[in-house]
Amino acid sequence: MSALDRLPSGRGDRALIAGVACLLVGGLFALTPLQANLPSALYVFVEVGITFVIYGMLVLGLDLQYGHTGLVNFGHVVFFAVGAYATAMLSAADPFAGIGLGYPWPLGLLVGVIAAALLGLVVSATSIRLRDDFLAIVTLATAEIFHSIFVNFEGVFGGNVGILGVPRPIAGLVGDADTRLIATILVLGGLTLITLAAVTRLTDAPYGRVLRAIRADELVTRSVGKSTIVYKTQAFVYGAALAGLAGGLFALYNGAVAPGFFTIQVTVTIWIGMLLGGAANHRAVLAGLAIIMGLRLVSRFGLSVTPVPGDVFAALRLVVVGLILIAVIRFRPAGIWGDPQELGVDQ
Amino acid sequence: MGLLQEAIFGIVTGSYIAIAAIGFTLIYGIVNMINFAYGEYLTLGAFVGFLAASAIPLPLPVAVVVAMIGGGVISIVLARGFFTPINHTGPVPMLLTSIGLGIAIRNAIRLFGGRSARYIETETTTFRFDAVPDVPIGSVDLLGGFFVTSEHLVVVGSAVAVFLAIHALLTRTDVGIAMRAMGDDESLARVRGIDTQLIRDSVWVLAGVLAGLAGVLMAIQTNVSSTTGFSHILQILSAAILGGAGSPYGAIIGAYVIGLALALSTAFLPSSMTGLSSAVAFAILIVVLLVKPSGIAGTEVREA
Repeated sequence: MSALDRLPSGRGDRALIAGVACLLVGGLFALTPLQANLPSALYVFVEVGITFVIYGMLVLGLDLQYGHTGLVNFGHVVFFAVGAYATAMLSAADPFAGIGLGYPWPLGLLVGVIAAALLGLVVSATSIRLRDDFLAIVTLATAEIFHSIFVNFEGVFGGNVGILGVPRPIAGLVGDADTRLIATILVLGGLTLITLAAVTRLTDAPYGRVLRAIRADELVTRSVGKSTIVYKTQAFVYGAALAGLAGGLFALYNGAVAPGFFTIQVTVTIWIGMLLGGAANHRAVLAGLAIIMGLRLVSRFGLSVTPVPGDVFAALRLVVVGLILIAVIRFRPAGIWGDPQELGVDQ
Repeated sequence: MGLLQEAIFGIVTGSYIAIAAIGFTLIYGIVNMINFAYGEYLTLGAFVGFLAASAIPLPLPVAVVVAMIGGGVISIVLARGFFTPINHTGPVPMLLTSIGLGIAIRNAIRLFGGRSARYIETETTTFRFDAVPDVPIGSVDLLGGFFVTSEHLVVVGSAVAVFLAIHALLTRTDVGIAMRAMGDDESLARVRGIDTQLIRDSVWVLAGVLAGLAGVLMAIQTNVSSTTGFSHILQILSAAILGGAGSPYGAIIGAYVIGLALALSTAFLPSSMTGLSSAVAFAILIVVLLVKPSGIAGTEVREA
């Protein structure tokens, strides 16, 4: 019995049912006077949990790109950021700094997804033929360029302050803080589960087999008549669009976007989660992400019980994060639940 | 400030980027990895130089040599500890490991050194040239008076010395010729009796020495903090790729192009947007990869 057996099973359908159920219960909290009571000790868990389900969407998209297709995207945060900024700029009514057009939020979210997908298309059109590590560098550089654009064009993107006044649909419906947190995590978690169901369907289909064939041996895949560039572009754009959706939802949950939310740390966190869990396995990458974000919880509690200043603690946490990334690659290159044979690595 | 002054800053910046880019590109060409932690080697070298010059304190030229030796030692220790064991796994795991190592080192320095910048005290002589006439074009002066400091001269002079030394190493010595052979075809080099592990170790040491020198020059010229190297890694990378990854001569050209592009973009960008000048280096990098993936001096097109 492998550890995998203890993860929630099912080939996507159960995730779909669970996702819809979460959405319904979340909607029930949001739309009816029904209230939830949350012990204040659990607040921090729910808050990290909300970040986890948003990052969960990111890691599922990244795994479609890297785990299944072998595309090394080390700038995933840029698609997250572009989705968030597009959503925020379209829907914010009183942005304080930068542009806020005040359109309805569903339109903002839609534009956010499209903007991220378009950027994904541009990046892949220009760079998808490059060698793996060069693609990593181009994506990383793209993310850094956008980061400095967001910081420097204050009139458009609000500079370091970012864009405030983004509508918060769930907070708008629910008055009290406890119910709002519960409704938020249920709705966002439901959407992530539905995403899980969708990517599972996609990769279980023959389509997914082509993607994995490209990762295993692109030349052979091309020689059996598959246009590998088209498949790689599609996988890249799907991942980018998912990240854009996650970004838009993040903006609508958070009520504001700022460059500080979209640093290389986001990319590193989801990469570690994916590698730790085991690339090419949707549930495994989510489990890996849960482990690495669990560390974030531990460190939050650690901070409150140790006498060291926050800055020192943050540095220490990042040292540990860096060492975890190194250790995973060295000692568990296929991840905890990954299949070493399928990934072509030697343990 | 005139364009001439900005160009001088560009040449100085290009000089220390060039020293670092040579080391970076040697690792790329011979160990076949993009070492994203290389910026942190610069930071470590700069801190070794700072400690030698300020805490002990040693005379500045001695401190520079100590920083170079420190860089070489740090590089070979990290390579043996983190990179050599996974040499066989291919470029992507190596790249990811270097990213993890970079994060760990950067924050470990922050842990012990804090975030504040440190300065190496030097006596600077400034040479002014005010006689050049200003010819304004819009808000920018074409030409214009300029100055050069003794630190500028030290940085540029060190870079020229490094270029000559690297050229001599690669063309006149057995180790250098073996390095070039390995860069061309590793298995052929092994068949011809070259001890590839020894050469790889030599490359790590050499790249570390160059990082130590570039780092301490940067510290003398500006200051040193935990993010010194990280803020330069994409410029170093851009220079190496622009010149043709794996080519030391290309890296020198690439570094000066990047240095001048950074400095001149500062002149033309509005003062509120000078932060964008770093985006210029990355934009150059992406354009080069699209138009000529092999770079200026590269011969081989590296496609998937």
